[in-house]
Amino acid sequence: MRLRHLALALAPVLSTACGGAKDAAPSSTFKVALLTPGPISDQSWNGGAYAGLQRIKDSLGAQVSHIQTKTPAEFDENFRQYGAQGYTLVFGHGFEYQDAALRVAPQFPKTIFVTTSGTTVGPNIAGMNFAFEEASYLAGMVAGATTSTGTIGCIGGTELPPVKVSFAAFEAGARRVRPDVKVVVSYLGNWDDVGAGKEQALAQIGRGVDVIFQNADAAGLGVFQAARETRKAFVIGSNANQNGVAPEVVLGSVVIDIPHALMLVAREVKAGTFTPRVVPLGLKSDVVTLVLNDALRARIPAAVLAGVDSVKGELLAGRIVVPRGTTPPVTP
Amino acid sequence: MDPQDPGGRRLMADALTGFLEAAVRTATPLAFAAMGETIAERAGVINVGLEGCVMAGAFGALVAAGAGGVGAGFATSAVAGAALAALFALCVVRLGTDQIITGTAMTLLGLGGTGALYRTWYGAGGAALSVPTAGPMAVPGLSKLPVVGPAFFSQPVVTYLAALLVPVLWWFLYRTHAGLALRAVGEAPEAARAAGVATARLRTLAVVAGGALGGLAGGTLVLAQAGTFAEGMSAGRGFVAIAIVVLGRWHPVGAALGALVFGAATALQFLIQAMGWTLPYQLFLALPYVLTLGALALARGRGRPPAALGQASG
Repeated sequence: MRLRHLALALAPVLSTACGGAKDAAPSSTFKVALLTPGPISDQSWNGGAYAGLQRIKDSLGAQVSHIQTKTPAEFDENFRQYGAQGYTLVFGHGFEYQDAALRVAPQFPKTIFVTTSGTTVGPNIAGMNFAFEEASYLAGMVAGATTSTGTIGCIGGTELPPVKVSFAAFEAGARRVRPDVKVVVSYLGNWDDVGAGKEQALAQIGRGVDVIFQNADAAGLGVFQAARETRKAFVIGSNANQNGVAPEVVLGSVVIDIPHALMLVAREVKAGTFTPRVVPLGLKSDVVTLVLNDALRARIPAAVLAGVDSVKGELLAGRIVVPRGTTPPVTP
Repeated sequence: MDPQDPGGRRLMADALTGFLEAAVRTATPLAFAAMGETIAERAGVINVGLEGCVMAGAFGALVAAGAGGVGAGFATSAVAGAALAALFALCVVRLGTDQIITGTAMTLLGLGGTGALYRTWYGAGGAALSVPTAGPMAVPGLSKLPVVGPAFFSQPVVTYLAALLVPVLWWFLYRTHAGLALRAVGEAPEAARAAGVATARLRTLAVVAGGALGGLAGGTLVLAQAGTFAEGMSAGRGFVAIAIVVLGRWHPVGAALGALVFGAATALQFLIQAMGWTLPYQLFLALPYVLTLGALALARGRGRPPAALGQASG
């Protein structure tokens, strides 16, 4: 890992030193940058994006750079930095980067700004629509079938629209198999506080919750820990495949193949075929899927597994539309 | 919950027990950090870098517990917190730099430094849930008490240590010569120096001891609660602890009670959200801070900060 970091830090130096005359025209270098709202060691949302950036470097030969932003003021600042340095493609990894992209993008028309899970589109602004709701709906079906208390829970970091949409779909999926299921939704107010994640999970377990769908990045590790210690609840992970984090309590994960998603966009941008739009990514493009934990598959009734498969087929065919809850429109 | 339902009362008792347990767990790291800050501030140094010490302790706990178990983890967390505090003391006491600015730098160093080391040593994949944890140790007899038993007498050993530290610290500050000298340094350093007290050394020692307790707070987070490390997992506890010192009127008993108040308010917030009330969750998240502010307002006028707090001269 140390070598990789060194390589990252040296990448710009090396490419100018070794590339020599070939890279004399700066526009010929494919430069891709990534802003993440949290640490890339979260094994989830941010880690996936960083893995995608590495894949773009390895597969497309791009020169890459990553910055972790802390405050909204830094969103603008770092977008501007990358625009000024002539980056071809800049990912703002999250819904929250949209306003900054809108403000900065007009000043750097040669740079394409993509906000993952954003819905804003402009001449050089694009979004990605991760269809969380489809896979979350399937996860809800699994939870509804697995709960013995009839109470299931959701724990989120903050109430971002994609998180709300995902929780609403989860609830709808659970109701499909168990109409009287009770769903408790809690938010931590941040994405780092592992202790708060654990305590919130313990509080839900204390109220009879026995399946928890977590979408809280690093703080979500506390949810797994609570389930592991009490053995009174199963967890469904989010964003990355978290089945291995605590195999004894994780039923499955709503996996966004973020590396795959970033690659899809980067490949188009490199080929010059990219048109600014909201790129739809879901079950169909194999980007958002429900991955069950094989170790606990026996916990889920076979009829439900079959049901999940058939609903998945209907979702793919567009015969079922998952309720997205209420998403506020994004205003510039 | 139907009050007529005979099971309702048991549910209520369970909820109360869960609430108290959560309150004590949440309060433990805050109590360590707040007592540590009390020592430093009594000596006239406000260590705003406490958040950094908590992070340093958390990371130290991760590294050492992986190699040497829970005990080594706690010891290393205290050493890591003390080390960062020693750097702070060197700047503030020896070189006379501004306490607030230096402390802010230490917080940034603690947050950024642990994050950088974490990624270097553990890779972008992180440590997941690989840290051994200290399980609860039930006090024979007392842990069987209804409602309060599990909350107060079935906790990890560090919680008892935090409770034990309260009278020990009180005794040290108010009943020993060294404690008197330490308080004198915080009130009137010139007078203390004239009386033959080695003010600079005492301030340094107080800051380092405070940092060690801050580190122990981080160790508690990792080893007694989360079972893992995450960048920024202190999540502002260091700053909350500094507020708790004010709430506790620079007294160890006050600091411990303040930590309990904040812990209880946080636990209440968890409980209310788990009840499934459909109110904006931000209201509940703000609850601990609102209650702490309220308590602070009520405690107004009782006790005062050490007279030389924050002043460069030692």
